[in-house]
Amino acid sequence: MRNVGIVGVGYCPRFVSKRTDVCIPEMVSEAVEAAFADCGLGPEDIDAVIFGNMHPFEGVNMPHLWAVEHMRALGKPVMRIATGGTTGMTAFHAAYYHIVSGLHDVVMVVTFEKHSEGDAQVGLLGIITPEAMAMMMAGIDLTGAGGMGAQGGGSAGAITYQAVSWMHKSGATIDHIDAIAAMERRNAARNPYAHLKDPEATPEKIAKTPMISYPVRFGHVCPTTDGATVCILASEERAAKIADKVAWVWGVASCASDPTTGNLIEGLITDPAEQRQCVIAAQEAYKRAGIEDPKKEIDYVEIYNGFAHQTLMYLELVGMCEVGEAHKLLEKGELEISGRLPVNASGGVVSTNAIGTSALNRVTECALQIMGKAGERQVEKEVHKALAHGWGGLMQYVSITILADKPKKL
Amino acid sequence: MEETRIVHGYWELSTFNFNIEARGINLMLEGFKEKKLKGIKCHQCGMVYLPGPFYCRKCHVNIDEPVEISDHGTVRTYTVQYADIRGEPMPEPRVSAMVQFDGCDSWVMGVVQCDPKDIHVGMRVKIKWKEQTVGNMQDMEAFVPE
Repeated sequence: MRNVGIVGVGYCPRFVSKRTDVCIPEMVSEAVEAAFADCGLGPEDIDAVIFGNMHPFEGVNMPHLWAVEHMRALGKPVMRIATGGTTGMTAFHAAYYHIVSGLHDVVMVVTFEKHSEGDAQVGLLGIITPEAMAMMMAGIDLTGAGGMGAQGGGSAGAITYQAVSWMHKSGATIDHIDAIAAMERRNAARNPYAHLKDPEATPEKIAKTPMISYPVRFGHVCPTTDGATVCILASEERAAKIADKVAWVWGVASCASDPTTGNLIEGLITDPAEQRQCVIAAQEAYKRAGIEDPKKEIDYVEIYNGFAHQTLMYLELVGMCEVGEAHKLLEKGELEISGRLPVNASGGVVSTNAIGTSALNRVTECALQIMGKAGERQVEKEVHKALAHGWGGLMQYVSITILADKPKKL
Repeated sequence: MEETRIVHGYWELSTFNFNIEARGINLMLEGFKEKKLKGIKCHQCGMVYLPGPFYCRKCHVNIDEPVEISDHGTVRTYTVQYADIRGEPMPEPRVSAMVQFDGCDSWVMGVVQCDPKDIHVGMRVKIKWKEQTVGNMQDMEAFVPE
């Protein structure tokens, strides 16, 4: 084993609903250039490129090959990763493995989603095509008002069941979901790379947004965003020469569970709020990072929250607080940028969701907090160790990355 | 700023032919004809699945013991839907739930015919079968309060 650190982060200039001024490879190129500018490296310094994108959303099956020149990858190994919402973090983990194995020294992770060119609902349905087709053959109306439509809405349909189950277990109410959504929108207003921003957001304002499916309101739901993110990793030896400030990777882990929704053919469908894979992945990541008490040792957390209640639910599941405690921390203001346990100073996925980038952005935002480069969204407390969480797959895959301000003792 | 040119795309390139394991769902649909819920039980750990897979997800052994499951169960989680998959308002709010039927480990999703104000976790419900059942998901018309 050897240490690996993040030496450069690059975002495309803005994350918005529609980037009509650039095509996919051009948008990717913007983020690559930003990452090179951030760490002073150039194409000649990169050994390999990992590319992350969920192709069903755009219908472009080989975007990494389309963009190979735009990401300056000619003549280099290029690998594409697609694991749903976790895509960006799985790509990051792949880059980490490339370096920790000793095979490569400097690896670039390139991720994007350009939702405006595709169809997110079809993309979400497309992840289970054979099962979806079989369900329709058996008489289930996936999309309309006639039957079990809630499970046909991809994550947005099944997520309502998750939210109710979590509220039942934790004692939280819809008012807490309004409050965390408002916090994320306010945080997003400080982040130049966030999509939905509202410096004046209040729980009352969120509560006025239309109810889609109880308890999920319009104000609780992520947007579909166009955006690209790039992250450059290097071995300890190289990192020391490249950058003054490095965010070191202390532990990575991923875990899949049984399909909690969608897999009618062979699955045991149970509680969508159980998310046991998250508990397992977090424990494994803590073990690898040598963290005994995350509540005391982790200073900052980025949660993948496609839907606002997930910030609170996953804080509990990664062990940053007890079950039923997250909404109380929220009430006390502890999750704010100025708080004791700041979470999602970036505004989270609920404010910005270019899916291929979303789980990587959790990692890069933790890295920027550790490096002290988060600008207006820099949290008040010092960040020595941070946890990034990614949620994806068929709602049943979770990735965790733990970063720190010093190399790990090997 | 110069805009990119938009090329409209539409996928209708081919037909896909997916092979799926459908014995469990077929057993369930066969049961519907007699207004019964039929799942598969693991002989090793006792887990009861609906619809049944033909291997146990916990034990990773082949399983093939059909069991009849009660059509009465408990609401484990629910939602009240106000908009459809495309965000269009529903004509009426629709209550749906994940129900754990008595003696079954899986949770099953379906529409609940009740006042949206009454739905809650722990509510007891039963299946309202169509009068004429044909072995189709539509046979299970709805869940109704016990």
